[in-house]
Amino acid sequence: MDWPGEAWRRFSFFFRRGQFQRDLREEMADHVRMKTNDLHEQGMPSDDARLAARREFGNALLLRERSRDAWGLAWLETLLQDLRYGLRQLRRNPGFTAMAILTLAFGIGANVAVFSLLDAVLLHPLPYSHADRLFRLFATDAKHHWPMVSTSYPDFQDWKQQSRTFEAMAAYYQQDVNLTGTAEPERLRALFCTPGLLLLLGTRLAIGRDFGANDGRRAAVLSYGLWQRRFAANPAIVSKSIHLDGWAYTVLGVLPPHFYFPPHEYEGELTPQIFLPAIPNVGRAWNYVRAIGRLAPGVTRQQAQAEMNGIAARLAQANPNADHGPEIRLGWIPEVAASSVSQTAWLLFGAAAFVLLIACANAANLLLVRDAAREQEIAVRSALGATQSRIVRQLLTESALLTVFGGALGIELADRVLPLLAIAVPANSMFFTRVHDVGVHLNSAVLAFGVFSTALSAVMFGVLPAWRATRPMRASRTTHHAGRLRGAFIALEVALSFVLLTGAGLMMKSLIRLRDVNVGFRTRGLLTMDVSLSGKKYSSPEEQAAFFGQVLTRLQLLPAVRFAAAVMNLPLTRSDTRNRFEIPGAHAIRGSADRDAVSTDYFHTMGIPLLSGREILDSDSARTPLVGVISRRMAQRYWPHQDPVGASIVVSRPTTATTPKGTIVHTKPQQLTIVGVVGDVRQLGLDVPPEAELYVPYSQWPSKEMSLVVRTDAEASMSIRLVEKAVWSVDPDQPVTAVKTMDQWVSKEAASRRFVLQLIGVFGLIAIVLAGVGIYGVVSYWARQREHEIGIRMALGAQRIDVLRLVVVQGLRQALIGIGIGLAGALALTRFLSSVLFHVKPTDPLTFVAVSLFLTGVALLACWIPARPAAKVDPMVALRHE
Amino acid sequence: MMVLKTLERRAMHGYGIAQRIKQLSDEVFEVEEGSLYPALQRMLIKGWVKAEWRPSENNRRSRYYWLTASGKKQLGAELSEFARVMQAIKQVIQTA
Repeated sequence: MDWPGEAWRRFSFFFRRGQFQRDLREEMADHVRMKTNDLHEQGMPSDDARLAARREFGNALLLRERSRDAWGLAWLETLLQDLRYGLRQLRRNPGFTAMAILTLAFGIGANVAVFSLLDAVLLHPLPYSHADRLFRLFATDAKHHWPMVSTSYPDFQDWKQQSRTFEAMAAYYQQDVNLTGTAEPERLRALFCTPGLLLLLGTRLAIGRDFGANDGRRAAVLSYGLWQRRFAANPAIVSKSIHLDGWAYTVLGVLPPHFYFPPHEYEGELTPQIFLPAIPNVGRAWNYVRAIGRLAPGVTRQQAQAEMNGIAARLAQANPNADHGPEIRLGWIPEVAASSVSQTAWLLFGAAAFVLLIACANAANLLLVRDAAREQEIAVRSALGATQSRIVRQLLTESALLTVFGGALGIELADRVLPLLAIAVPANSMFFTRVHDVGVHLNSAVLAFGVFSTALSAVMFGVLPAWRATRPMRASRTTHHAGRLRGAFIALEVALSFVLLTGAGLMMKSLIRLRDVNVGFRTRGLLTMDVSLSGKKYSSPEEQAAFFGQVLTRLQLLPAVRFAAAVMNLPLTRSDTRNRFEIPGAHAIRGSADRDAVSTDYFHTMGIPLLSGREILDSDSARTPLVGVISRRMAQRYWPHQDPVGASIVVSRPTTATTPKGTIVHTKPQQLTIVGVVGDVRQLGLDVPPEAELYVPYSQWPSKEMSLVVRTDAEASMSIRLVEKAVWSVDPDQPVTAVKTMDQWVSKEAASRRFVLQLIGVFGLIAIVLAGVGIYGVVSYWARQREHEIGIRMALGAQRIDVLRLVVVQGLRQALIGIGIGLAGALALTRFLSSVLFHVKPTDPLTFVAVSLFLTGVALLACWIPARPAAKVDPMVALRHE
Repeated sequence: MMVLKTLERRAMHGYGIAQRIKQLSDEVFEVEEGSLYPALQRMLIKGWVKAEWRPSENNRRSRYYWLTASGKKQLGAELSEFARVMQAIKQVIQTA
């Protein structure tokens, strides 16, 4: 009823508690004195009177405490007391304190670091307003109703016009453009999009404006990064011209910082640096745009799905040639953005959680060992009237103190490690594109998580030992019980380490398998680069062919260069151009193969063996009949048990015409004669088996985007400048990009897996060190405790080896139990790794055996080291000690 | 309630309160005298009593407690509640 007054009185009491305490003590003393006086006056001797007065008064100390409890803030006071006392305790045991804090710091640090990664990749909101209403729209194919990444422009237009559930829809595709005219030429990833995409995403430009339907084809919006890097962040760039592929584009605006689009859907996708208007292609079979839509407010996903399916069914019926199914799949943007990364992210997070668990088990073990040493102190305290809850509170305060220090150190540690982590994240690998877009740093969410995991570990590792310490002091039973608890903690640590190490082992084996993959060509001494000609300067196929012909001639003249060749899609770069073909005859067979235009010396340069027939020759030109060389895989699939050399197939050849309505692509069937068979190569990636390949002469299928491969005698990277110069000597305006040795491509292929291995490996290492230290600590404690028993045994004739065995076996038994549990745990958990494993089963027996042996070895060592001094105990000393 | 009642007339120190309760109840209530103090602390928090050091008889200093306005109100409430309960008990005992 009078709570503000009451709260105030409680509050002011807390700050004047010293005064109140003195008052209380004084008035109680006063009370006893007056009582003594009165009793004395009644005729009692003064000594008896004092005793009687005290007796009738009761336990003054207890009453004072109860009076203080009445004030309700006593707990705060006790807390301060506990803290002071706890700090003193920790200072008294610097070794124990440092161990416990370091252990917890490792556990918490690992978790905070991985969580910040997780935060950047999964939890950080996408930079679009109403991201929760954004959906990717996937057309499906007519045959299997599988979703397709892209759809045709006319289809997209129909969707957009007919849909009511989506309030806005836009389409986009990506392509590279050459930025020229300023300093060095540069190849940029461009996003070609329909006007209104930025409006749909709710993006406000940093400066200038977005392009609209009336701005024509030559308008551009720059990314913030490009604007900073190439245009010195000068706002005057707006309405100026820049040159892309030789054409002048007007810059209309600059995107805001930290903006990126689209969210990555596959590994290796680059973040566009410039937004340009999409060029429509009126062919319905030409699937090249990706569609995105924003749901109207209040519309459910189901409603949208139903409407879009209706539209798709009508379109599929009206345009059977488009080969689209009667369905449209919706992909919720936050899910699309996270889909391919979430598994790896959670995997790493799980591994980090294991480290924290191990750290907690280790810290709990340290506490148990230390509490055993304090058993006497605790016994004295409870004899003096400390209640159980009071003792538990004291012990919990101490473990909380440890965790707070450990947590602070852990967060600090994570902060130091994060930049390293960001560097270790391989560029352009799927998981990590967002890390580069968003950045990894300690933000409030990460800090909150750090505090949370600190609190969690305080509970996890503090409660059990504290609860244990208050068990009634029946000496023999408690010791036994504590021994079991300690043993359980060891088993837990070993089990968790087992799972982590198995994960690391499987990853390592995958990487070794990946390294040993036969890619089908010699990677050493091979230098590769991309050259894309600007469309204006080299518009005709003849001009394009002439340019690359000249470049190759110049390259072959360089003394360091043995062979040089051009190819449309480099192997291992995840790029291919799949095309259909037909084998004519009575039973016409339709097939598909990756078509790759190559120059004459390609197979020599790469070291791809010719198996039968002939290579592509200089004599195959635009004026001679079409020829092709196929891969072994293609020969085996379509001409089993036959020689395909001399066979002919029908391929469709596109010709592009630009009209005011958009681009129109015509395809024309043409005969092609197979003249040779070469070995298989891993075109798509190290982990993708070779596919059917059809190599065609570059002179017959020119392109303005080619990669150059150069075989050098010396280390490939030494020739980079020379090769660039040779290209620029033909035309200084053509950018040479992605200059890499083939070995770099190979190592990049393994980058994502290597990153996962590095993290799991580091966690495994921490785990094994912690587990080893944990075993060591407990076994040495056991050995000390059994010193007396060992002395007796030795006095009775036990040999040193017997004693050694006695101590080691006790520790090893727990470790073996742990290995058993870990084995089961690993069997259950490693399947979550299967997406990142390569040619290794998640239950690979060799890895499991190796990890078991390794852990047993570590446990043996950790038991043996403390057991040795125990075996050296002089029986006389041990016995006399008693 | 008994403590409040003893303080109704005048301010008293702790020993005085204990003596008075003992005396008035003809030593029926023989509680630990010290347990008076936690109770007094609770009343201080509730704001029913106030305390102050004052010179006492024979030139000593004692801590005197006295009732505040809200303490008097509380006493009144408790007395009437007590009377009501007593009345009820009496009725039950007499009619049964």
